Amino acid sequence: MNQPILEARALAKLFGVTPVFSGVELTVGPGEGVLIIGRNGAGKSTLMKTLSGLVAPTSGKSLVCGRESRHLKTSDRRVGVLAHQSMLYPNLTARENLEFYGELYALPSPPESASHWLERMDLAAAAEKRVRTFSRGMEQRLAIARALLPEPDLLLLDEPFAALDRDGVALVTGLIKDAIARRRAVLITAHAPLDLGGLRFTMFELAHGRLAAFDDETRHERLRSLSAG
Amino acid sequence: MKNAWQVGVGVVALATMVAAIWMSLINAPTEAEQGMVQRIFYFHVPCAMVTFCAFGLVAIAGALYLWLGNQIWDDLEYAAAETGMVFCTLVLISGSIWAKPIWGAWWTWDSRLTTTFILWLIYGGYLLLRAFGGDTPQVARFAAVVGIFGALDVPLIIVSVRLWRTIHPAVLLTRQGEHGLQDPRMVAALLMSMAAFTILFVWLLAVRFKMLRLHSRLISLKRELALWQAAGEGAGG
Amino acid sequence: MAGFGTLLRKDLKLELRTGDSTITLVALSMLILVVLVLAFNPNEGRSGDLAAGALWVALIFAGMLGSSRALIAERENSCILGLLLSPIDCAHIYAAKLAAAFIFMMVAEAGSIILLMLFFNLEFGMKLARLVPTVMLGGLGFSAVSTLLATIASRTRAGDLLLPVLVVPVFVPALIAGVKASAAALAGATIVEMAGWLKIMIAFDVLFVVAGYLLFDYVVVED
Repeated sequence: MNQPILEARALAKLFGVTPVFSGVELTVGPGEGVLIIGRNGAGKSTLMKTLSGLVAPTSGKSLVCGRESRHLKTSDRRVGVLAHQSMLYPNLTARENLEFYGELYALPSPPESASHWLERMDLAAAAEKRVRTFSRGMEQRLAIARALLPEPDLLLLDEPFAALDRDGVALVTGLIKDAIARRRAVLITAHAPLDLGGLRFTMFELAHGRLAAFDDETRHERLRSLSAG
Repeated sequence: MKNAWQVGVGVVALATMVAAIWMSLINAPTEAEQGMVQRIFYFHVPCAMVTFCAFGLVAIAGALYLWLGNQIWDDLEYAAAETGMVFCTLVLISGSIWAKPIWGAWWTWDSRLTTTFILWLIYGGYLLLRAFGGDTPQVARFAAVVGIFGALDVPLIIVSVRLWRTIHPAVLLTRQGEHGLQDPRMVAALLMSMAAFTILFVWLLAVRFKMLRLHSRLISLKRELALWQAAGEGAGG
Repeated sequence: MAGFGTLLRKDLKLELRTGDSTITLVALSMLILVVLVLAFNPNEGRSGDLAAGALWVALIFAGMLGSSRALIAERENSCILGLLLSPIDCAHIYAAKLAAAFIFMMVAEAGSIILLMLFFNLEFGMKLARLVPTVMLGGLGFSAVSTLLATIASRTRAGDLLLPVLVVPVFVPALIAGVKASAAALAGATIVEMAGWLKIMIAFDVLFVVAGYLLFDYVVVED
């Protein structure tokens, strides 16, 4: 399949008359990974939501497998989204949350999928506990499981490593590697460049409303200027 | 509406209103039973007609906005709602002024007046929503839905209130229907009044609509400017 | 229809688990009834009217609170985004929310009706049997209107104040019909005699359930 899984064309979003980002051009094909870095408030989360189709762009298009992400419901393509908000019901248990989403996505066997992911995310021990009682790291891992549950073609993960301990980071890095190996498209955001266990991710920086390529040279320059002044 | 047209319609509105006032207050004979007060009828009824048309327009414009997404329909809808509320309030006030000398009470639960009052509440809520919600496309969609709900409700309100009132004729108010007018001068006064108020409504609507259009266009230009500036910065930096 | 079932089960499960809001709703409903009965002396001939009126005031209050709460649950952790991302049709979300609101209202009303029977010395007879469909029709119409308007209000500043302002005037035809039908039922009228009012309520329900279903898409999407 040559068609890119995610394509953004001249994507722009304004809140009122204030631009959050504009002129965003992006292509992510199967088995490709993109890392977008940016400071707090740079607009990474809004960009993620616009790419996923949750939020309508002010202008431009966001296409998932050729179809506008705004109309994703009617296609059979799936997008797995990890946002700052976990989208988990605090008064349901971990297992109940995953089974619920499994049913929503009409998976063949939601209980099996739920068990599988609970194991994989090292949450089996807390499976019958309510999400309300979870630590931030546990909630994050469960939210990632929720995103990956429907075996999505496109993964949009907003700061996936936040609140994770070393084991959690290793776990999630493994998941990302696995997704790449399965020819999915992965887009993650972070505050600073990450070590993704050897994976080559195309890097961009979202700053002042523009998405610009961020390569090693830029990074070294940045480090040099930081250490100088 | 271009300026020349606006002035023109304004002049026609003024002329017809003057004519209507003369015909209603002077030319038409005084009604036997109710006396001078009955003349309010010539203002009360056209205002009511205009109110219903205005709120109907709100629903239609709202539906078009939801369907087509063009800001122009939202502006028309908002203008119609505001203008409609003005006339709705006039219906209630004139109805009250009419009721007092006839029935000795400022308010009677007459079915038509009650229906108008419920509408007043519904569209009052609409205006509050707009005021609290702000100026986003999301609020515009919300308002359109509320406007449509209101219009859909109207037939049910009319039927339920009428049924309610026929069972409780405690304060009865047999209103002079249009068909109860005996003298042709009365009919003429009513028709002229209806024309005058309709033109007045159209004029007010146009003025308000123009204001809202200007505002929307300004916002749109500001957005374009913001995007263009951002593009400039990006290319330069 | 699978989505509708899943969503409804989830809402009911959540409510049973955290039960506090339903119980509070029932208590509030009953309390309003008590206040109204105390305010208007029920021993003078018009007790049927009072009972009907009090019942419907309680119903409206309970309904509005219930709808607000149902929607708050989806805003915690932005669960609504999870629903919007899934293949579930927005119409199913609406139907599930409506059904949940309706069920909660009926539970609250059951408590009120029991109190009503105590206060007004009613028997478990035909009068009550005719009251129940009236309350159910009213509850359905109210849930339809209030689910949609609460979705709007929950995303607006001062939304919880705005909700009654939006809902009650729109609900008026069903309210008038409901109160009158209830009063008639308590006075011993037959269904045939109540038909006029019931027809209005049925028309209201059909109109607003369908309208809500069609318009919900425009209201639930984020911006």
